[in-house]
Amino acid sequence: MEEFLQQLTNGLAVGGIYALIALGYTMVYGVLKLINFAHGDLFTIGSYLGLTLLTSMALVDRLGPVAGIAVLVLMVMGLVALVGALLERVAYRPLRHSPRLSAVVSALGASIFFSNALMLIYGARFQVYPQGILPKTAIDLFGLYVPLVRVLMLGTSVVMMIALYTFIQKTKIGTAIRAAAIDQDAARLMGIDVNRVILMVFLIGPALGGAAGLMVGLHYGQINFTMGWVYGLKAFTAAILGGIGNIPGAMVGGILLGVIEALGAAYLSVAWKDAIAFGVLIFILIVRPTGLLGERVAEKV
Amino acid sequence: MKKGLVAVAALCLLLGGVIAAKADTIKIGLMGPMTGPWASEGQEMKQVLDLLAADLNAKGGVLGKKVEVIADDDGGDPRTAALAAQRLATQGIVAVIGTYGSSITEATQNIYNESKILQIANGSTAIRLTEKGLKYFFRTCPRDDEQGRVAVQAIEKMGAKNVAILHDNTTYAKGLADEARGLLEGKGVKIVFFDALTPGERDYTAILTKLKGANPDVVFFTGYYPEAGLLLRQKKEMNWNVPFIGGDATNNPDLVKIAGKDAAQGFYFLSAPLPKDLPSPEAKAFLDEFKKKYGTAPNSIYAVLAGDGFRVITAAIQATQSTDPDKLAEYLHKQLKDFAGLTGKIAFNEKGDRVGEVYRVYKVDAEGNFILQP
Repeated sequence: MEEFLQQLTNGLAVGGIYALIALGYTMVYGVLKLINFAHGDLFTIGSYLGLTLLTSMALVDRLGPVAGIAVLVLMVMGLVALVGALLERVAYRPLRHSPRLSAVVSALGASIFFSNALMLIYGARFQVYPQGILPKTAIDLFGLYVPLVRVLMLGTSVVMMIALYTFIQKTKIGTAIRAAAIDQDAARLMGIDVNRVILMVFLIGPALGGAAGLMVGLHYGQINFTMGWVYGLKAFTAAILGGIGNIPGAMVGGILLGVIEALGAAYLSVAWKDAIAFGVLIFILIVRPTGLLGERVAEKV
Repeated sequence: MKKGLVAVAALCLLLGGVIAAKADTIKIGLMGPMTGPWASEGQEMKQVLDLLAADLNAKGGVLGKKVEVIADDDGGDPRTAALAAQRLATQGIVAVIGTYGSSITEATQNIYNESKILQIANGSTAIRLTEKGLKYFFRTCPRDDEQGRVAVQAIEKMGAKNVAILHDNTTYAKGLADEARGLLEGKGVKIVFFDALTPGERDYTAILTKLKGANPDVVFFTGYYPEAGLLLRQKKEMNWNVPFIGGDATNNPDLVKIAGKDAAQGFYFLSAPLPKDLPSPEAKAFLDEFKKKYGTAPNSIYAVLAGDGFRVITAAIQATQSTDPDKLAEYLHKQLKDFAGLTGKIAFNEKGDRVGEVYRVYKVDAEGNFILQP
């Protein structure tokens, strides 16, 4: 029981990260029907930018840990959002009316470009976040051991996801995004500036991905330029698991995938952990081709 | 018409000149992971070879010709490596140095062997690479069975009764894990955990939680340093104080950077001796020069072992006065004895394996230094 709960918390923390990245995939897919393969690399850019800003501006020394990290999160989210918008402008907008395959190839190209650019700028070696920025306290409940950082991480992810969901559901821009997701041409006829909607999507998704990258850097310490691939793949899987194009689906899918992985590793086999996770994905797609929450097609975003 | 003839003649001369100029150098290939997860290893391999080649050329080269290093990238990936090998094989190289990972080397062995190009691997320790009986394959690093023996000795010394073994399913890590399991079971030690992790991830808490449940006295991790660093760090965060011992792929100062000094402290690993623990004058001179040229000492022993491959092959060309692969292979197999390598004395057996004891046990101290264990 104790080990089960420990594994559950392990899975929740990882799942929160997957979910945050998955939101970027799902939003872009919802509006453009495009799998943005460069999204994983935007996540990596987030962790590299975080490291650069953290060390070059000495934010934590000057502002203290809480304010320092809050400022850092905002700066990283803002900058990665700009990179995302730039990516859309350069790699996707010119191809918007081309066959969908061209945009997918362009996405793969952008992904390779980003990871190689990071390698050339920062070098091929692993980069390491300074230690001791985050508190090392942990909650110790009857042998269940949960570092506070993991609770904070999951908490931050959930808050960001809820904020996004509210934004999409309650605001005017959110409504416009939902409308464009259903039918771009009809939305345009209704006076919605579709280009602006797409720009919004490419600002929000990358910002969340960048935040996830920063969290991974702060918590795990070690980052390198290829890490976006694994996280991107997992988050993409999570988006499909939850029903791609569906925001609550991405959240549920991400957290579920993290938990399935942790429990699969615990009770079946460590080496087969990923195979189990992908096996579950395939099973769900056979039973429910739209993914777990993918039934309300009209609500896609 | 005449003009045309002159032009053709000029072109022929030019081409002849180019070909002649090309034949003036002896080409040595370098296949290493210049990109990908082990890019730091590959780039250091190139630094070492560039330095040694420049040195050799300053002294007049071999057989009166300059030595040219032609580097190609294997990306740390078997498919990319096979392509790199095919490219290198068409460039008139006498021998190729590389590469780091065993599964990567394996993908290229036949390509070089069929092209009669000598291959001297530097970090590929999997046993089966030299059990195939390939005539032109050598390696300057030792083998996993040798490493397994040293690992088992170290684990016994730690007084462990229950041992957990964790690998990462690469040719190297799995081979070493299997080797150690067999030897330990033969000595009556209980293996309480034997499984693999997926390299390249950040969160290994699920695996660590399961490992902890198995309650081992020692954990032997046979994978690479990025994962080892994370394992140590997350183990510390879990408040779990079990000793870890790693294979030679964990030998990299980045391990301490990733884990943090407090988490890395007390970590044991096996390795060919570090450059700093090499007493030979060749090694000292090399280290000084490397520092002078690149600012820091080499991080990786495998890059230095690549340098040894380069030194061995150029010495063989000099000794045989030839670039004929059969003569060179014959020389390396039979005649090269006690060659003063950067990592100690070098000789090869008939399989192409380096002979002699190379492995040592190291322990990380509180300052993150790697201390040679007696």
